[in-house]
Amino acid sequence: MRFGGLLLGSLVAAATTLAGAAYAADTIKIGFNAPLTGFAAADGKSALTGAELAVEQANASGGVNGKQIELVVYDDGAKPDQAVPVAKKMIGQDKVAVGVSGSYSGSTRAAAQVFQDSGVPYISAYAVHPDITRAGPFVFRTSFVGEVQGRAGAKLVGEMLGKKRVVLITLQNDFGKSLAAGFKEKAGDYGIEVVNEYQYSIKDRQFGPIVSKVAADKPEAIYATGYFFTAAPLVKQLRAKGVDAPVIGQEGYDSDKFLEIAGKAAEGVIITTSLDRDSDQPETKQFISAFEKKAGFGADMVAASGHTAIKVAVAAMRKLDGDVSDPAKLRDAIAATEDLTASTGSISFNPLGEVMKAVQVQVVRDGAWHRHSVIDDTALLAPPAK
Amino acid sequence: MLYLDLTLQGLIQGSMYALIAVGLTLVYGLLRILHVAHAGLFTLGAYIAVTVTNAAGSLLLAALVAVPLVGLAGMAIYRLLYEPILHRPPFVALIASIGLFICMEEGFRLVFGPYGNSFDLSPVEGSVQLGALSLQTVEAATIVAAFGLLGALAVFAGRTRIGVAWRATVTDPEMAQSFGIDTVKVRYLNFFIGSALAAVAGVLVALLNNFVEPTMGSVPSYKMLAIIVLGGLGNVKGTLVASLALGVMESFGTIYAGHIMDRDAIAFLFLVAVLMVRPQGLFGKA
Repeated sequence: MRFGGLLLGSLVAAATTLAGAAYAADTIKIGFNAPLTGFAAADGKSALTGAELAVEQANASGGVNGKQIELVVYDDGAKPDQAVPVAKKMIGQDKVAVGVSGSYSGSTRAAAQVFQDSGVPYISAYAVHPDITRAGPFVFRTSFVGEVQGRAGAKLVGEMLGKKRVVLITLQNDFGKSLAAGFKEKAGDYGIEVVNEYQYSIKDRQFGPIVSKVAADKPEAIYATGYFFTAAPLVKQLRAKGVDAPVIGQEGYDSDKFLEIAGKAAEGVIITTSLDRDSDQPETKQFISAFEKKAGFGADMVAASGHTAIKVAVAAMRKLDGDVSDPAKLRDAIAATEDLTASTGSISFNPLGEVMKAVQVQVVRDGAWHRHSVIDDTALLAPPAK
Repeated sequence: MLYLDLTLQGLIQGSMYALIAVGLTLVYGLLRILHVAHAGLFTLGAYIAVTVTNAAGSLLLAALVAVPLVGLAGMAIYRLLYEPILHRPPFVALIASIGLFICMEEGFRLVFGPYGNSFDLSPVEGSVQLGALSLQTVEAATIVAAFGLLGALAVFAGRTRIGVAWRATVTDPEMAQSFGIDTVKVRYLNFFIGSALAAVAGVLVALLNNFVEPTMGSVPSYKMLAIIVLGGLGNVKGTLVASLALGVMESFGTIYAGHIMDRDAIAFLFLVAVLMVRPQGLFGKA
């Protein structure tokens, strides 16, 4: 009886292994971690939908050398302690060829270290913390480091809009702080005087005291960092108080949800981001329409970033003709990405694995995002190289 | 002028806290349960308000639906969750309550989606002028609602027969029962009123932010615990004063200490400071 059980057990094990091997030969797996529950679930869903779209498009156009791509998705709740086991599972159990983060900085940093230590490539789609790529040469980022976008914000406010007395409203997390740091670093160069800086937590939705103080400060412009779910109530409350100075935001605002929540108050808000709604690039135009068809709501920066990161991974695998058995070769192929056209612009990496591309400036006009301008000052936008 | 404005903003925030916290302190006073899931009822109220307003086009109708419905949901939580475990130690109910709260958050996400919801058309616009101070209409409504409803509650508890029965049950349930008071009915009433007040707060917050999201109850879920401790557990008047004091502390703290610590840290520092001097809370009996 015992012997029989053992025999049966090994048969089952052998069958599973065989099935696994046969399965693995037909598909190439890309790991994807994103916050699908908890406070960041909205961004997680957008990023995932963007990534799924990229996978569908790649498979429809022949996959990678005939092999289909399979997206292995895990929820990390935007929490570092959930991201580590998820990363280990993707590498150890699912044997993914490459991992993509559709998550925030905390969890992305934690997962990046696991991928680096295992020697498997990892691409961060939209997390901003500078230390993510510093995990090592296997880690890449297809979006802007916070500081870089902050510097672009300073140029936008001081030079392009000509506003000099500025109040900062800063979200107290790595996203808000790194943006504000980049802004303040370059503020002096563009003749900006930072009158005051106020901090708020990601949980805040009511900004009564800050709004009252900003009204008393009478700034020429407000540089407010945040996500659509903090920034939209903030902008709405600022306008309700009669503060009409222009509000300058960033990619965190970049969602149709921002327009929906802030309503009329959203008019005139300007942001730095990486998705150009009025782009005449076929790739971007096609992404925007295909995403809307798939998701049932408008494309946003996070979705475009998830789409871009997958596209970079697929392009590298195609360069290797689908032979992803050596992760070091795949890493080199990703690093060699040059001027790859994606929905968020033209992608190339610097030696640290940071993307080099132009910053899109968008403005809300008649209840929709539109192109305001493009910042492509390469010296200003140079990402950290080590 | 700025100080006056900041004080007023603090009172608005404090009024919001008071509307939510009173339900919690009522439940604690009666059953000695820390009813964390109360914050989920606040969220439920906000979601019903937005959903009904968008469907029927009437905010008034939405409020008339949301408030009693959430009150009933509170009664259901008592009947289905707390009543079966009343004879267990209090931490059992606390853990059950935290569990229910997490389920509610994820339930909202599954039903209404992770993106949060807004009113299609902002139902309340405009502002009220108080001398040189300007207030959004909703902000003014928040203060009026908090004082009006809590004042009515005080009259109800103090002047009516049901109110007297309620207070008697809180003071000494066994004695109250021996005088013929139906203490189970009192508990239902308690949950109904507390939950309905949280729904009022939910409707107001939905209007103020034009945004409801699955996790909007997470800050109230723990901050309310601080407030009811501060107010002296089970003490309604204390809870009101503690809410307003905390609102004003946070208002000034956000501006003048915001670069050192965030709003929550300020709130809990205030709590620690008060408890060091008065361990029983501002109005608790020593």
